[in-house]
Amino acid sequence: MKLPSKLLAIFCLLTSSLLLAQSPVSGFMKKNNEGSFVVSYSYEKYDKVFLVPQEVDGVPVFNEVTNTSISLYGEYGITDNLNVVFNVPYIKSEGEAGQGTLDNLGFENTREGIQDLSLYIKYNFHTFNFDKSELKFIGSIGLETPLSDYKANEGLQSIIAIGNHSSSFNALGIVNFKVDSGFFTTGQVGYSFNDSGAPHALLSQLKVGYAASKFYVDGYVANQLSEKDGVDILGDGFTGYFPATRVNYTRVGLNGFVPIIDGIGITAGANTYVAGRNLGKSTGFYGGLVYSF
Amino acid sequence: MNNIYIKSIMALAIIFTFSACETESNYEDLDPSIASIAVSNPDFSVLEAAAVYGNVAVVLSNKNPNDPAGNYTVFAPNNDAFARLGLNEENLGVLQQSFLTNTLLYHVSNGNLFGSLFSDGASSTSAISLDRRFINRGGNTFINGSKILATDINASNGTVHVIDKVMIATGGDIVQSAIALQSAQVFKQPELTFLVEAVVYAGLVDALTASEGSPSFTVFAPNDQAFKDLGTALGLSFTKPSDIRQLPKEVLATVLLNHVIANDGKFTSELDAGIISPLGGDPLTLGAYTNGVLTVAGVGNAQPANMAIPDVQATNGVIHVIDAVLLPNL
Repeated sequence: MKLPSKLLAIFCLLTSSLLLAQSPVSGFMKKNNEGSFVVSYSYEKYDKVFLVPQEVDGVPVFNEVTNTSISLYGEYGITDNLNVVFNVPYIKSEGEAGQGTLDNLGFENTREGIQDLSLYIKYNFHTFNFDKSELKFIGSIGLETPLSDYKANEGLQSIIAIGNHSSSFNALGIVNFKVDSGFFTTGQVGYSFNDSGAPHALLSQLKVGYAASKFYVDGYVANQLSEKDGVDILGDGFTGYFPATRVNYTRVGLNGFVPIIDGIGITAGANTYVAGRNLGKSTGFYGGLVYSF
Repeated sequence: MNNIYIKSIMALAIIFTFSACETESNYEDLDPSIASIAVSNPDFSVLEAAAVYGNVAVVLSNKNPNDPAGNYTVFAPNNDAFARLGLNEENLGVLQQSFLTNTLLYHVSNGNLFGSLFSDGASSTSAISLDRRFINRGGNTFINGSKILATDINASNGTVHVIDKVMIATGGDIVQSAIALQSAQVFKQPELTFLVEAVVYAGLVDALTASEGSPSFTVFAPNDQAFKDLGTALGLSFTKPSDIRQLPKEVLATVLLNHVIANDGKFTSELDAGIISPLGGDPLTLGAYTNGVLTVAGVGNAQPANMAIPDVQATNGVIHVIDAVLLPNL
């Protein structure tokens, strides 16, 4: 059974969480002049924090944090082998500090705004075509940069900052293997160069999925390991500036997509952290509309 | 050939992914900082909030710049300790931030001081240069009036011991301490306003002010509600501090001296049930030492007074704020 390549190509997801919890580049390429847009809403919440050396119950100051976002994502095929990907999220982060705490510290329970623009190009270096399968080698570089002057340097208020307000340059190597029956697997490794005092990070992701004509589903595990020059929250060298912290994580998730009619489809997914360092242990969900052409 | 190629690529991807995994074994044998200990232990949730409000959370995350090995020793009041003063995570705003910061630093000293080195009668200088002293009582060790509940919790930047009462030191003498409360430098609401007015009116300021070689006292300090209740009991109306001047000066002086004991200044951990003799008026009766406090009664009191805020360290003694005025025979 030949895979409906357009269906597969429709699938390219980015969940707009505060960290790059799922890679913005997939192992699939859009053909020349094909593309898709995704409008999605995401929701995640945490009341436990991965601190060093142990996970703590209850977010300091804010007790529980809920992040919601609306994102616009797009991918377009400039040629069969060169795609461009972009993403822009609007993020709202809400804490549950008591009024007494807010008054004493002069804090607020909400921070929101347009966060960072992600812009990537993907280049398919080579495709090996086998009898019943295909192996692609893809390289991607991209920039992420804040689009608004949201604050990340307000001391402990920035526990609920919507991002790091730092720019980064990212480079990724992707290998995608798919068989005609519909199964595929994608592995990627990359590196993120960050500014504004945020440490650089090693990124990796492994995804396994299945694409059929009527639906698509995948599961992934994504990792980030930040450089050791990052500090630990409440550890030696911590000054209250959260972007300088050494954030690591292992996150797992599921994504699904169903085409409805005329190039429009619905996508949804869930994800959670199974290990981490210096971040909230959040579980999140998203849903979105996809338009492909 | 294809199969091997595929398998090796997948193996590589898997290896990359899982070797990059963050696992607890990467850091589970690291000691937490003192700030981390406060944050991760639910018994210290009020201390955590106090450290944040008092701006010492970042300080206690890092090494101590004033110690060669970078260590602090912290006597950490647990949630019950704060509750004794009516304080919890939400209402710390009743305190002035500067007073809270100094109070927290009074619980901190430079260097590692382990439990085995606590010695009865020894003193220990805090990070704000005011001393605390160790007291043995009935098999327990106390620092000032606070019982030490647990010792030697290791932190990356020092050592933590747990105590059952918040230690308070104003840095001033008895008169200055009372004025600090009266002028809202401690609580944002003024307290001891009647007492300060009474001490001034009765001419006792000099006697209670520290000077070179002056004696140290234990002072039972009636709070504002205590004076208002006294007014009611006397059939007078005490609504503002100057109302205390309705009493004759000599009578007020005798009543005030009924609250001062020239015994070098004793914490609750050093007091026992029995009779003690103040500088004026009649002997006082102390009740049994229970849960860190004692009641105190003058001969003219129908009910003994309770300690609202015990063990406040002044430079010339110890103040225990009480909820009733102690009455001699008049």
